[in-house]
Amino acid sequence: MKKLLFLLLIPNFIYAELVLEITQGTENPYSLAVINFDGPQKISKKINSIIKSDMKRTGEFIIRDSSQLISVPRNEEEIKYKDFKLLGIDFIVLGSLITESKFNLSVSYDIYDVRKEKKIRTSKVFGIPNKIRQLSHYISDGIYEEITGLQGVASTKLLYVTEERNPDKSLFQLVIADADGANEQILLRSNEPIISPSWSPDSKKVAYVSFETGMAKVFIQDLASGKREIALKNSTQISSPSWSPNGKFLSLTLYQDGNAEIYILNLKNKNLTRLTNHYSIDTESSWSPNGSRIMFTSGRSGSPQLYEIDLRRSNSKPKRITFEGNYNAKASYLANGDGAIFVHRSNKKFQIALKYFDENFVRSLTESRLDESPSISPNGNVIIYATTEDELGLLAGVTLSGARFKLPAKKGEVREPSWSGFLR
Amino acid sequence: MSKAPHRLTSNFFGIVIFTMVLSSCSSMNVTEETLYDRNVQTVQASVAEEATLDYETKAIFTNATVLFDFDSFNLSSKSIQTLKGAVTAMKANQAIKITISGHADERGTREYNLALGQRRAESVKDYFALNGVAGSRVSVKSYGEERPLAFGTDEMSHAKNRRAEIN
Repeated sequence: MKKLLFLLLIPNFIYAELVLEITQGTENPYSLAVINFDGPQKISKKINSIIKSDMKRTGEFIIRDSSQLISVPRNEEEIKYKDFKLLGIDFIVLGSLITESKFNLSVSYDIYDVRKEKKIRTSKVFGIPNKIRQLSHYISDGIYEEITGLQGVASTKLLYVTEERNPDKSLFQLVIADADGANEQILLRSNEPIISPSWSPDSKKVAYVSFETGMAKVFIQDLASGKREIALKNSTQISSPSWSPNGKFLSLTLYQDGNAEIYILNLKNKNLTRLTNHYSIDTESSWSPNGSRIMFTSGRSGSPQLYEIDLRRSNSKPKRITFEGNYNAKASYLANGDGAIFVHRSNKKFQIALKYFDENFVRSLTESRLDESPSISPNGNVIIYATTEDELGLLAGVTLSGARFKLPAKKGEVREPSWSGFLR
Repeated sequence: MSKAPHRLTSNFFGIVIFTMVLSSCSSMNVTEETLYDRNVQTVQASVAEEATLDYETKAIFTNATVLFDFDSFNLSSKSIQTLKGAVTAMKANQAIKITISGHADERGTREYNLALGQRRAESVKDYFALNGVAGSRVSVKSYGEERPLAFGTDEMSHAKNRRAEIN
C-alpha cells in the first residue's frame, strides 16, 4: 500500500520544477485523519496526496492516512470516534468526488471534530478535471480555515526568478507557481538579469526590474494578456518597484539625481512625487498595509538601516527603525503593520529577521550564510525567502509557528520570491 | 438550495469567488465555491541592440576595472592610478565616450547592491569630472550583484566582484 502511494506521488513531482521538502514542524501540531476520498481511485489518490502535502507544509498538522487508522469509515455513520481518540486524532476529513461530465469535477468534503464527536463543516468545490491540483489546494485551504480560523495559502501563488547559468549566455526566467512549487508558468524569458518581482495587490499584474534594455528598468506585466509596459520612461536606470495597497501607486527607486532616491509614481497620470532627498543611498521602499507609511533602506547613517516615512504628514522626516548591527535592509511590513521582516547581518551572516516596532531588539528567523528577499504569505503566517545551499540558490520558508520547508529548483538557481495575495 | 455549478472552461478568466454560507444550522459551516482559473502568457525579452561602439579608440580602455571595499564606493589610491591613464586618453581623444558600469559582490540585498554599484560608477564619473572630462561623455549604470566575475563565496571572489568597469 505504501509502495503504491509512493509511486502515485511521483507524477506530481515530474511536473514540479521546484521540489518541496519539509524540514521541521511545530511542537504542538493538530492531528488530522485524511481518509481516501470516495470516487475514481486514480483521481482520489492524487487529490488526497496533494491535500496531505499542503497540510504538512503548514507545519501545524500531522497527517494520518487510511493505512494508519484502526477503522476506516466510508461515511458519517461508520465513524467510530473511539478509534480516533485512541490515536490522538483531533479531526477527520471525509470526502467524495462527483464527475458530472467530462468538464465538471466537484468534490464534497466534511470535517469532523473527534472530541466533540460531530461534523463541524460540510463543503463543496466545483472544478474541472485538468485542474485537480488547484481543486485540492482549495480543499486544503477549507480544512485549514475551519481548524485554525486563519485563511489558508495553499491556493495562492509564488512569483520568483530562476537562472540557468551558461558559459556564453545565462537564461533568466520570471516564473509563477503554486504555493507548493508545482505548476510552473513562465512570465518572461530573458538573457539579462531580472530582479525585484512583486505582485499587484489584486494579483493580476506583476512589476519587476529587467536589464534587457541594457540597464535596470521597471516593467509592469499583465498576467493574462502578457502585455507589458515600462512603468516610467527615463534615460537613467529605475528599480525597486513596490505597489501601494490600493494598487494606484508604485514606489520606485530613480537614479536621475546621480544617486538612488525613492519616488512615488501615480500609475494613472504618471505623476511623480519625490519621497527622499539625501546624498546617500535610499532604496527598497515598501508600503505599510494601510498605505500610510513607507519603509525603506538608507545608507544615511553610514551603513544600510531601515527608515520609515509617514505619508500622511507633509515633509515628514524619515524615522530610523533599526539600530541593531551594521546591515538591515529590504523590509516588508507584517500584515497587521506592527513590525517588519528584513535582511539583517549578524556574525557576518545575512539572515531574515523580525522586529516589532514596540521592541528594541531584532529576532533572527534564519541562520544560513546568505538569506535574502523575504516575502510574507497573505495570511501573515509564512515567510518565504531566498537562501543558498552548496553555492546554489533555492527558496526556503519558515512559519511563525516555527515550521520550516525548502523549495529547491531541479535545475539552476531560484531566488527573489514574492507571495501573491489570496486568489480564492 | 444550491445553484447549478458554474461551467468552467480552460479559457475562463475572471474572479468567481463563490464562498457562501448556505445555511447556518447551529455551529456547522456549509460552504460552496467554484475554482477560479486564470491564464498566463509567456513573454520573450528582446535582446537590447548593442550600441555601435568605436572599438579602435576604445581599445585603450578594455580591462580598465577599479575595485572597491565592502559597502564602500571610495576610490583607492590604486584605483586612481588606473583612472589617471584613462583620463589622459579621454583628453587626447575628444571623440571617446564611455560607459561605466558598477558592480557589487553577492552579500547583502540585490537592490541595495544595485544602488551601491551605481555609487561606485558615479565615483569614477566624479573622478573624470574633477579631471576635466565632460559629464556628457560619460554614462553610468549598475548591474549590482547580477553580473559577477567570480562565482566563489570567499573574499577573493567577492573582492573581484566589487568593481566598476570602464568601456
